Amino acid sequence: MIYLSAFIICGTICAIGQIILENSNFTPGHLNTILVVVGATLSFFGLYEPIINWGGAGATIPITNFGHLLFKGAYEGFINEGFTGLIKSLFTLGQVGVTVSIIMSFLVAVCTKPKH
Amino acid sequence: MKLEEYKKIVNKNSGKEDKFKNVFISFIIGGFMGLLCQMFCTFLNKEIGIKIEDASMYTTIMLIVVSSIFTGFGFFDKVVSFAKCGLIVPTTGFAHAMTSAAMDHKSEGIIKGIGSNMFKLAGSIIIYGIIVAFFLALIKGVI
Repeated sequence: MIYLSAFIICGTICAIGQIILENSNFTPGHLNTILVVVGATLSFFGLYEPIINWGGAGATIPITNFGHLLFKGAYEGFINEGFTGLIKSLFTLGQVGVTVSIIMSFLVAVCTKPKH
Repeated sequence: MKLEEYKKIVNKNSGKEDKFKNVFISFIIGGFMGLLCQMFCTFLNKEIGIKIEDASMYTTIMLIVVSSIFTGFGFFDKVVSFAKCGLIVPTTGFAHAMTSAAMDHKSEGIIKGIGSNMFKLAGSIIIYGIIVAFFLALIKGVI
């Protein structure tokens, strides 16, 4: 059953993104920025955790999850240590994707020749 | 020629893509991405015994690695032009933006090319994510 809800959630987020792209002259970069902000805002209102519980990986692979992880890390840090904790742990959950992306894109860029 | 007339001509001659069809394609492709990732996540959780949060982390890592390598081989762009948002919105789009920016500027050298241009496209995602998350967490924490 979780497979169906993962399909629906991920498909819906992608379809919303496509609707935004179709009805404006945004680039994919604009779109992903908007979606990260939306993810952080949903997480602010406590709505993203239930979506993850329902949709599983369908909710954790879209870029909205990055905003959710940033907010979650920052808020947990604030609860534990106050303002110090907020600064220290804003990146603790969200850094996985960034770290792996940097390493992988560096390796790929060094190892390949761009085609023109 | 006036700007309005020019816009009219552009609107008339630019090919009309079927909006509904694009949305439908992104829904289906995005849905299958979610389905496959959920299968991978469940596999890691049930068969290997990784915690569910770590399993979803490894799923994201798998997506990033696969899409970076595909971008390196050069056929990710063709797939994206067909799949549209079905591959832009999942983390694949983020990894693709970084890898293609790094590859484009490779000829300028490792430090000035790859190093300083890697975040050219994907930087705004990280920057606005951090800004919004910082202020929202501050607001929620203070309240």
